[in-house]
Amino acid sequence: MRVTDNATARMVLATLQQQQERVYTLQQQVSSGMRINAPSDDPVSAQQALDMKVLIAANDQYSRNIATGNTWLAQMDSSLSDMNNVMVRARELATQMANGIYDASARQSAANEIQGLKDQLISLGNSQIGGKYIFGGFVSDQPPFITTDGVPSPGDVAGDFKGTDDPIKIQVDQQSFVAINYSGGKLIRGDGTSGTTDIVDTLDKLITALNSNDTNNVRSSIVKINSSIQQIQAAQGDVGARENRLEKAGDVLTGTRDYLTKALSGKQDADFIQVLSDLAKQQTAYQATLASTAMFSKISLLDYMR
Amino acid sequence: MSVSDVFSIGVSALYAHKLALEVTSENISNVNTPGYSKQTAILESALPNQDSRFPVGSGVRVATIRRVHDDFLQKQLVSSSSSAGNYDIQQTAMQRVEQLFNEFSAAGLGTDLTSFFNAWQDLANNPSGQAERQAVLAQGDTLVSDFQRMNNNLNQVKSDANQSLQGLTSDVNDKLKTLAVLNDQIQQLEFQGGNANELRDSRDKLIQDLSEKVAVTYTNEPDGTVTVSLPQGATLVTKNQAGSFSLEADPGNSGFFKVMLTDPGGSVVSDVTQALKIADGNQGEIGATLQVRDSLVDGFISGLDELAYKLAEQVNSVHGSGYSLSGATGIDFFSPPIVLTPPATPTAGYSRSIAMNITNINDIAAAFTNPTAGGTTGDNRNALNIAALATKSNSMSTGNSTFSGYYNSLVGKSGVAAQVAERGATQSSAGIKQLRDMRDSASGVSLDEELANLIAYQKSYEGAAKLINVGTDMLDTVLSLVR
Repeated sequence: MRVTDNATARMVLATLQQQQERVYTLQQQVSSGMRINAPSDDPVSAQQALDMKVLIAANDQYSRNIATGNTWLAQMDSSLSDMNNVMVRARELATQMANGIYDASARQSAANEIQGLKDQLISLGNSQIGGKYIFGGFVSDQPPFITTDGVPSPGDVAGDFKGTDDPIKIQVDQQSFVAINYSGGKLIRGDGTSGTTDIVDTLDKLITALNSNDTNNVRSSIVKINSSIQQIQAAQGDVGARENRLEKAGDVLTGTRDYLTKALSGKQDADFIQVLSDLAKQQTAYQATLASTAMFSKISLLDYMR
Repeated sequence: MSVSDVFSIGVSALYAHKLALEVTSENISNVNTPGYSKQTAILESALPNQDSRFPVGSGVRVATIRRVHDDFLQKQLVSSSSSAGNYDIQQTAMQRVEQLFNEFSAAGLGTDLTSFFNAWQDLANNPSGQAERQAVLAQGDTLVSDFQRMNNNLNQVKSDANQSLQGLTSDVNDKLKTLAVLNDQIQQLEFQGGNANELRDSRDKLIQDLSEKVAVTYTNEPDGTVTVSLPQGATLVTKNQAGSFSLEADPGNSGFFKVMLTDPGGSVVSDVTQALKIADGNQGEIGATLQVRDSLVDGFISGLDELAYKLAEQVNSVHGSGYSLSGATGIDFFSPPIVLTPPATPTAGYSRSIAMNITNINDIAAAFTNPTAGGTTGDNRNALNIAALATKSNSMSTGNSTFSGYYNSLVGKSGVAAQVAERGATQSSAGIKQLRDMRDSASGVSLDEELANLIAYQKSYEGAAKLINVGTDMLDTVLSLVR
């Protein structure tokens, strides 16, 4: 093939531009650390990488939800524990006062202490975290229990439950929800079915019995107090089980996140060793082209003509 | 044969080689002229003078100055130029579109979609919280502006393409006029027996440049002119008359231009827009511009429209069945789309018109039942339901997918479109390069070759001069015989 000067010049120019383009692409990969800097670099992998990012973001959100749940359940655990202690003290007193040794005035003071314990129980029922009442179901911005010194509406009695029994659920994974609250009403007031105890009512009856020096009723309240304690401990068990569930969900999320991050990295990260070695090769090729161009452009028939 | 014959042979040699030297110098000086075809002086012996007893030829003459030219290669170059022009325009436009969808260089609609649903999750963790409600509104605002921004930019690509038609058509019209003038000049010159090689080169180059803008076919007429027409048959240039393109606003296409062609006679005006818009990758810059404007970008705009529409539809539906903090229900989160009459598709244009319907954080319906009834402000069920829309599989025009999945598929599409255009551009420019090399191999000027010819012709010129010298001496001798 006959080669003209223009053809040579054009070829050199095209080669140099091609090499510069390759160098540019490689440098872009080095500086961003990614193999994919635009969807057109690898459209299929790009789409897959983006889908994975969506999953990772959702995963992070579920972790945040679990953190909120943990805080609630921890507070609940602590409140339930305190309630347990309250009822244990109530049982102590009741057991004592059931004994014939004590007289009416002793029982009076006991009644006062029980009253105080009842107030404590109710205020534990109004436990908050971050300004939210955790035992009120969906009523979370106002205290769910009427307190003794609260201003009641007509017909309100101290210890009345004004909240709901609804579970507050958080999402810990796709299709997976955990309730992070416990209904105060069911806990302290019972739900009216046999097998649940109205703890407030029990305490009320104990106070009445103590005030009226009614030893028999004091004695019979001990049974109810025992079942109250069991009720509270059952709630504690439930809360503990849910804390476990959250922990396991958190572990699953961590595992999934690790896997997703690794897969994402495989899809979109640049292999630095490969890229840097390609860059070195390209730069060498570019230099070689420049050198050979300079060499050939110096030679011409004109040099040899007289 | 007389001594004077020696003179005349010498003179013919001088003259022929002088002409050959001129041709060589023309070649050398035009080595860098684009489109120049090498010219060669064809020398042939002059016919012998039959009168003398031993006929010998009467010297040398230049039979013709031949332009080295391959018509077939030229036709291929012309059609490759159309392809290159086409993919060039397509590549630029598709790269612009791809950049809008490039979630790898900057966080865009895809990231904001995820953040939107995450904000609802945060709200579900604290349904009456002011900060969380504010965040939901803010994320909603961000989504809305993302949609509008992308819609604007995509439509900008379309209107920029439309605007560029003006420059393109006026460029083409200039070229057509010049072609007609060249036709005339070449025909006249050759009719008078002259040499129109340079003009022919210019005309070839002009046709090639023209074909970059709009695909053409051409025929060499026997009278030396060239008839240029569109591949579908409409004539652009015939003899010394040129047609011209003009633009008219098309009310049926949102006021975008339609391309009209006035024929070379100046009488018939026809709408050639459809003929120019054939999607075969070979229609030159005008064809590609029309395609970008009328089809390539539309798919992305309608994809965005569909995403915005379905998103608003689903969110509004769930949101409307929930209760705000003030106890109201049936509230739309996004402004509902205008109902469009057929044949317009229901989703058309919604990515531009989407807007927030709520500005007050109390209007966000996080609760499933009226929270004012029993103070149940902690009811987060509706917030959870809206958050769950993130993983809901919706029936979209491309099949079932989540909102994010659908958007990511649009990103993938933009990548494919850009990749296809880039590959087309690379391939057609490689093709052109090869054709140019082949053309140069046949008709290009090689300095080495010309310089060698220079030496050869110069030596011949010297030889011929010497011949005249000797002839003079011989004549002097003869004259001195007779004293």
